[in-house]
Amino acid sequence: MKDASEKIVFTGTGIVCGAGGTVEDVWEKLEKGETCVGPFEQFDASNWPVQVASEVTLDKRTLVPERKLHKTISRTDMVGIYASERAIENSGILDHREGLGEDEVDAFNDRTGLIVGSGGGSYWSNYDFLPLIHEAKGELDAFGRELGNQVTPMWLLKNLPNNVLCHVGIRAQFKGTNACITNQCSSGIMAVAEAASAIWNGEGDRILASGHDTPFEPEMMYYYNKLGLLSPEAPKPFDSNRSGTVFGEGAAALMLEKGSDAESRGATVLGEFLGFGCCTEATGILDLDPEGDGVERAIRQALDDAGLEPSEVGMICAHGNGTRASDATESIGIKKVFGGDVPPVTGFKWAYGHLIAASGITDVVMTLEALRRKTVPGIGTLESIDSEIGPFPVSKESTEPRSNVALVICRGFGGMNVVLAIRAS
Amino acid sequence: MAAAGKRKIAVTGIGLVTPVGNDAATTWQSLLEGKSGADYIRSFDASGFSTTFGAEVKDFVAEEVVPNPKILKCAAKSHGFALAAAAEAMADAGISPTDEDSHRWGLSVGAGMMSISYEDLKVVHDHASKDGFFDPDGFISPDFPGSPVKFCSWQTNAGLALLAKQFGIRGYATSVHTACASGGQAIGSALKALRRGQCDKILAGGFDSMLNPVGISGFCLLGALSTDNDNPKGASRPFDKTRNGFVLGEGAGFLVLEDWDAAKERGTNIYAELAGDGNSLSCYRITDSPPDGNGPIQAIEQALGDAGISSDEIDYVNAHGTSTQMNDQSECAALKAVFSNRIDDVRVSSTKSSMGHLIAAAGAVEAATCCLAIKESMAPINANYANPDPDCDVNLIVDEPAKLKIRAALSNSLGFGGSNSSLVFRNPEEVDA
Repeated sequence: MKDASEKIVFTGTGIVCGAGGTVEDVWEKLEKGETCVGPFEQFDASNWPVQVASEVTLDKRTLVPERKLHKTISRTDMVGIYASERAIENSGILDHREGLGEDEVDAFNDRTGLIVGSGGGSYWSNYDFLPLIHEAKGELDAFGRELGNQVTPMWLLKNLPNNVLCHVGIRAQFKGTNACITNQCSSGIMAVAEAASAIWNGEGDRILASGHDTPFEPEMMYYYNKLGLLSPEAPKPFDSNRSGTVFGEGAAALMLEKGSDAESRGATVLGEFLGFGCCTEATGILDLDPEGDGVERAIRQALDDAGLEPSEVGMICAHGNGTRASDATESIGIKKVFGGDVPPVTGFKWAYGHLIAASGITDVVMTLEALRRKTVPGIGTLESIDSEIGPFPVSKESTEPRSNVALVICRGFGGMNVVLAIRAS
Repeated sequence: MAAAGKRKIAVTGIGLVTPVGNDAATTWQSLLEGKSGADYIRSFDASGFSTTFGAEVKDFVAEEVVPNPKILKCAAKSHGFALAAAAEAMADAGISPTDEDSHRWGLSVGAGMMSISYEDLKVVHDHASKDGFFDPDGFISPDFPGSPVKFCSWQTNAGLALLAKQFGIRGYATSVHTACASGGQAIGSALKALRRGQCDKILAGGFDSMLNPVGISGFCLLGALSTDNDNPKGASRPFDKTRNGFVLGEGAGFLVLEDWDAAKERGTNIYAELAGDGNSLSCYRITDSPPDGNGPIQAIEQALGDAGISSDEIDYVNAHGTSTQMNDQSECAALKAVFSNRIDDVRVSSTKSSMGHLIAAAGAVEAATCCLAIKESMAPINANYANPDPDCDVNLIVDEPAKLKIRAALSNSLGFGGSNSSLVFRNPEEVDA
C-alpha cells in the first residue's frame, strides 16, 4: 500500500542524447529551439529516403572509460551505463555510503535497487551471423559446425537485454529490488513508475531508474519508413505539415529515494514523483484508439494516483512523436481530461528524436528541468498548428508553466499509454 | 498469519504449453512421472551444432488452440505458445474481461529476447549482404522482400500487445526481461500491481522459444548447454554430480491472479495464495553464480518476509536447478543458508529435469507447478538423478513424486546477469485457517 506520508524524491539525474551529455547541454538546445536531428555517421544512408536521426556524439571512451568492458557490451548498453552512472554520481549516494560502517553498507546495498527500461536487443547483433551463413552456403549443418569459428563466444552476453541492469548493478553493488522492462516505448518511463512504487511498497529505500535505446539501425529505419512512421526531416509535433517521427538514441536515469532519507543525508532534492497511470488500449501492436482512450485513462489514473486536480497541472510534456495518428489522438485524450483549460503543452522529440525505449524517461528528466527553470520550451519546428487538432496550447516560443507540477505522457506499440505526474522542488 | 495490511491474492487459473504437454493437465502428469521432454531437435537440422537436442514443444498447432487464430498473423512462435497457455488459464479461471471491468484487468509478462528467425536472417543475408558482410543499401533495393507484419512480431512487446488484444485487457500492462528470471519477475510484478490497487485481476506469465538456429547458437557459443548428444533424455540432471549444462526448452505458462475475497465470493477454485515476491541482484558476475548464495538468499528471505511467513512453513521448493555446475551449487548454498537445520525437512526438485530450461518462461511455468503441487498435495520429481554431489545435498525428490501436504511452496528463478526472483505460494487451507 502506498504510504502517502512518505514523499518519493529525485536526487540525481543523468542524460545522454543527440543534444548532449548533460542536462545543461540538452536544455540549451531546447531553449534555443535548436533541433539536433540531422545526418548521422553510424551507417551510410546517402541513398536512403530518410537520412536523418539524432545521434549521440560522445565517443565510447567518454561513455564507458573501461575499454575492457567495450568488448562485452553493445552501444545501447554504453549509453545506458553512462546516463545511469551520471545519475548515481549526481545523487551523491555513493559518497554517503562511504561514510557508513561495514554492516550498514551491506544493508544499504540490499535496500538499493535498480530498474532499467531497455530497448531489448539490436538488429546489428544478428548480422554477426551473416558471414557464417555465407560460409555455410545456406546449409544449417555447416552453420552449426562452423559456428564457433565464425562468431564470438561472447555473442549472447554482448546482446543480453538486461546488460545495463547487470553491469551498473555490479559496478555500484546495488543488490536490491530490480527489473528490466522491455515494453518497447514504455520501457524507460515505466522504470521510473515501478521504482517509485517499489519504494512506496517498502521493497527498497532508493532505486535508480534508467532507460536506454539506440534504435536507428538500417532495419528499423527501413520498416518504420515502410509503415509510414518516419519523417525525412526533424519531426513537427502537432503541426499541420507533420509527416512522422525521427529516431534518436540515448539514455536517461533518475535516482529516486525516500524524502526523509534525502533530507537526513542533506541531498539536493530536484523534485518529487507524485503518481502515474499505465494502461493499454488493447488495439494490437500498431493501432491506436481513434478517440484517445488510453491517453485519457492514463492521465486520469495519474491525476488520481497523485491526488491532483487537472487545474493543478502546470504543463504537459506530450509524447508528440510527429506522426499523424499519434499526435491527433493524443490531443483528443488530453482535451477530454482538461476540457477548455489545457495547460501549456510541449514535447521534445523535435529536438532529440524519438528514443523509443528511452523516450519517456528522457522526457521526464528534461521536464523536471523545465519545471525547475519555470520555462516550458517551445516546439522549435512548429509552424502552424494542425487545424484538425484545433485550439491547443502548443507554441514555437517558450512559455511559463502554470505551476510546478507537470505530466509526462509516453505512448508506445501495443496501445500502451503511460503518464507520470512530477513536481519540481 | 498473512502479512499485515497486504491485499491477499489468489491463483485461480493455470495454463501451460511445455515440452512435456500442451496443456496443464498433461504437463502435470508428465512431471509426476519424470517424463523427459528432451529429444533430438526436429524443427530444424541441428546435426552440426555442438548440442543436437533440446526440449521442444511437440505437435502444437497454434491455429487449433488459439481462440482467434487471425491474431496469429503477427505472432512469432513463442507468442503462439503464450496465446494458447493464456487462453487455457482464462478458461480455467472461468472469467474474462467485460466492458465494465476490462480497464481493471492487468497483464504482466516475461518475454524472451527479441529473436529473429534464421529464415528471416537468411533474407537479410540474401538481399542485404555482400560475401556475408552487411550492406544496408540492400534494404532499400526494390526487390527486398521485407514484411512489416513480421517486423511487428519482432517488437519487444509484441506478445503483450497480442495478449491484450486477444483477451480485451485494457489496464496496467508490463513486459519484463531479466533472462532466466523473467517469468518469475513477471508474476512478482503482477502481485505488486494488484497489491497497490492498480488492477483487480491480472493475467501473468512468461513465454519463450529460443529453439531455433540463432537462439541455440548463443548458448552453444557460451558452452552453457549439455552436450550429451548420445543421451538427450538424461542430459538435464540438476544437482547430479555429473551434470554438465542445461537443456534448452521452450513454451509458456500463465496464471490468472485475482483478489482473494473476490475469488472466494464467486466460489471459484483457488489453487494457492500468491503470498510473497522477493527480488535481488547478485552483483557478482554476468554468467557466474555466487558460490555462497549471496544474492539468491536475499531474494528468498524477501519473499518469505513479503508473505509474512517463516522458512519453517515451506514444505516444497521448486528449484531453479538448471543442471549447470555453478548454478546448482550456488542455489543449494542459498537453500542451506535460509533453511539452516531444517534443510532436510524441505523437499526439493527441479522440474527442468523433465521440461528443460524454458528461459523467460521458466519462472512462470514453475510457479504454476508449485500451485499444482499445493493443490494435489504431490510434489514432482527431480528426474535423472543418480550421483550425489556433496555440494548439493538437499532433500531431493527422486524416483517417485512425493505425496505431501504442502503448507507453502517456494519457486526460485535465478537469471543470467544476476537477477534473482523468488515466489512464495501458500496452501488455501493454511490461508483460511
